[in-house]
Amino acid sequence: MRSRADRAKGARRIRELAERVLRGVALAALAALFWRALMPPAPKAMSIARSDKAGLTPSLLRWTLDAPSAAHAVLDRAPDPQSRDWIAALARSGTAVSWSSPRTLGASAVVAEPTPEPYGATRVRLAAAGGDPVSIGDAAGLIDTLPRGGASELELSSVAGTIRASGATFTASTASRDSLSLRPVLVLGTAGWESKFTIAALEERGWRVASRVRVAPNVEVTQGPLGAIDTSRYAAVIALDSSAASSAGAIARYVRDGGGVVLAGSAARLGPVSALAAGGVGRRMAGVAGAVASSTPREGLGVFPVAAPRGDAVVLETRGTVVTVAARRVAAGRVLQSGYDETWRWRMAGGDEAMTAHREWWSRLVSAVAYAPLVRRASSGDVTLDGVGATDEAPLASLIDALGPASPLDSRLPATTDDTRMTRILFAAALAALLLEWASRRLRGAR
Amino acid sequence: MVSEFVFATAQYESGDWDSAPLVPANLIDSVARYTSLAVAPTGAIVALASDDLFRFPLVFLTGHLPVRFTEAERTNLRRYADRGGMLFVDDHNHDIDGAFHKTAVEELGRAIGPLAQLPNTHALYSAFFKFPDGPPNTSHELNGWGDNLVHSHLLAAMRGDRVVVLYSNKDYSSEWGYHPDNKRFLSIDNTKFGVNVIVYALTR
Repeated sequence: MRSRADRAKGARRIRELAERVLRGVALAALAALFWRALMPPAPKAMSIARSDKAGLTPSLLRWTLDAPSAAHAVLDRAPDPQSRDWIAALARSGTAVSWSSPRTLGASAVVAEPTPEPYGATRVRLAAAGGDPVSIGDAAGLIDTLPRGGASELELSSVAGTIRASGATFTASTASRDSLSLRPVLVLGTAGWESKFTIAALEERGWRVASRVRVAPNVEVTQGPLGAIDTSRYAAVIALDSSAASSAGAIARYVRDGGGVVLAGSAARLGPVSALAAGGVGRRMAGVAGAVASSTPREGLGVFPVAAPRGDAVVLETRGTVVTVAARRVAAGRVLQSGYDETWRWRMAGGDEAMTAHREWWSRLVSAVAYAPLVRRASSGDVTLDGVGATDEAPLASLIDALGPASPLDSRLPATTDDTRMTRILFAAALAALLLEWASRRLRGAR
Repeated sequence: MVSEFVFATAQYESGDWDSAPLVPANLIDSVARYTSLAVAPTGAIVALASDDLFRFPLVFLTGHLPVRFTEAERTNLRRYADRGGMLFVDDHNHDIDGAFHKTAVEELGRAIGPLAQLPNTHALYSAFFKFPDGPPNTSHELNGWGDNLVHSHLLAAMRGDRVVVLYSNKDYSSEWGYHPDNKRFLSIDNTKFGVNVIVYALTR
C-alpha cells in the first residue's frame, strides 16, 4: 500500500508532466504560427460570401488580402458595378469565382438615347423580366413606376443626371451620352393646304424645313436649302403626293443610303418609291364626319389604307382592320407610309389641342425615320460634365458577362471554409496552454 | 391626289358681304388658267361665325358698308388666324377713311391684331407672278372715280412670319368683278395678283 507521501509525489509528477505537455502544446502552436507566418499555406479551401447581410464588401476585402483559390458569391440581387468589377478582378487574378442566387435575379435593361427631334427629348426604353414592380427615376426624383415590370418606353423632355430603374433584384442605370446632328427635312408636294400645314407644323415644332411645292408645270415655290437628295443634306424626305414623281429615283437611292422617307397619302404609288413602301395603296376611305374634333381626331380624316403590308413592315396605326400607318426598313434606310392625305383638317378644325397634336404627330413621323448621326458628347472617363456617373444598363447581363452564368454552390465543399480559422485556433491553443501551464506552476508554488 | 382648293367668300352679319359676286368665279378661272392646282369650279360662302370657316384656310371678305363683327365672329376669326387661316379683305370703296375701312381695320385689330403696311418686297409679290412694285394699281384707283387716289401698300396682320390678314384698299372687288369670259378683251389680265394671293396662301 502506497503511503500518502508517495501519492503526493505521484500527483506532482503527473502535474509536472501535464505542464510539460502544455508547454509543448504552446511551443508547437507558436512554432506553427511562426511557420505559417514565414510560409503561408497555399489556400485550398473555397470561400463563400453572401450579399444579404453586411454586403459583399467585407468579403471582397478579405478575398483581396488573402486570396482563396476558389470563391463563391451568394447574391440576393445583381451587384452594383463596383462590386461586380471587383469580383471580376479577383477572378482575373487567379481565384476561381462563381456565383449563385437563392432567388431568380430579374433580367433588366435600360437605355437612353436622344430622340431625333429638334426639341432634344430623351427616349428611355426599359425592359424588366420577372414581374416585380420597377420604379424609374433620375436625380430629380421618381418619374414612373411599372407595377409588373415588362417593357416600357418613355420620352422625357429633360433628364437630371443618371436615370435609374430599380426592382427587387436589380438597379439598372443609364444616361444619354450622345447628341444628334439633325439636318433639315425636305417636303415635296403640290401647293395646297396639306403641304402648307405640314411645313408649318414641322417648322413650329423646330425642324428646319426645305420644300419644293409645285404650283404649275415647271413652276415650284421653294424654301430652305435645296440640293441633291442625300443624307449629307437632309434628315428625311416627305413626299406628300404625286408631284414627287420626278424625284422618285433620287428618293429610292437616298433610302438605300440610310435616309428616311415619309410617304403620305397616295405618294407610295410613285414608280421607284412604290418598291420601298410598307405596302400598297388602297382605295381612299372618307373620314368619320365630326370625328376631327373628337378625342380620336384622325378617325375624321380621309385615308388611303396601306394595302397588304409587306412581311417586314411594322404596323404603327390602324383604323379598325385597316392599316393607316406602317413602316419598314429598306437597306440602310427607313420608310414610313402614312395613308392620311388631309391632316390639315385636324389642325384647322380639331379641338383645343389640335394644333399641338398635329405638330407632334408630324414630328413623330419624321423622327421615326430621320437619319440623324450620333455625336458623342465631350466626357472625361466615366464622369461627364453634366454630372452623369458610371452607368449599368443591364446588370444581370453584365454579371454573366463578367463571371459566367450562375452555378449552384457545390454541397460537397464545406459550407464555410476560412483560411484564417487555423491561425485563430493555433493562437488560442498557444495562449490557453501557456496560461494553464503558468497557473499550474503558480498554484503548486513553483516559479 | 390633292384635295382641291375651294375659293370661299366670308359671310358676316353686318354690312354687304356679297357686294362682289363675280370675283370668286374670276379668280377660280385665273387659278385654273395659270396653275396646275386642283381648284373647285365653284366657290363657297362661309359664315364667319360658323365652324365651317375652318374648312377654308383662305377666305375672301369684302363690302362697302360699316363692319361690326359679332362676338362669335370675332372669337372664330381669332382662332382661325391662330391656326393658320388667312383672311383676304378688300375694301370695295377704295377710299382712305371710308366707313368700311375704318370699321374693318378696327374690328380686325380687335379680333386678330393690328394691321401694318406690308413691304412691297414681301414674298406675296413674287409667289407666282412678279410684282416688283408691290400691289398692282386698279383702274378704279387711277381713274374709275376720278380721284387718282392710289394706295401704295397693302396692310397685313402677322403671326410670326405668316400673313394672317391681308388688307387692301385698292378695290380689287370692283377690278375683278366681271365675267371671266371677258378677260379676252383685256390686254393684261388684271386678276394675276389674285393668283399670287391664292398661291401665297397655299404655300406659305
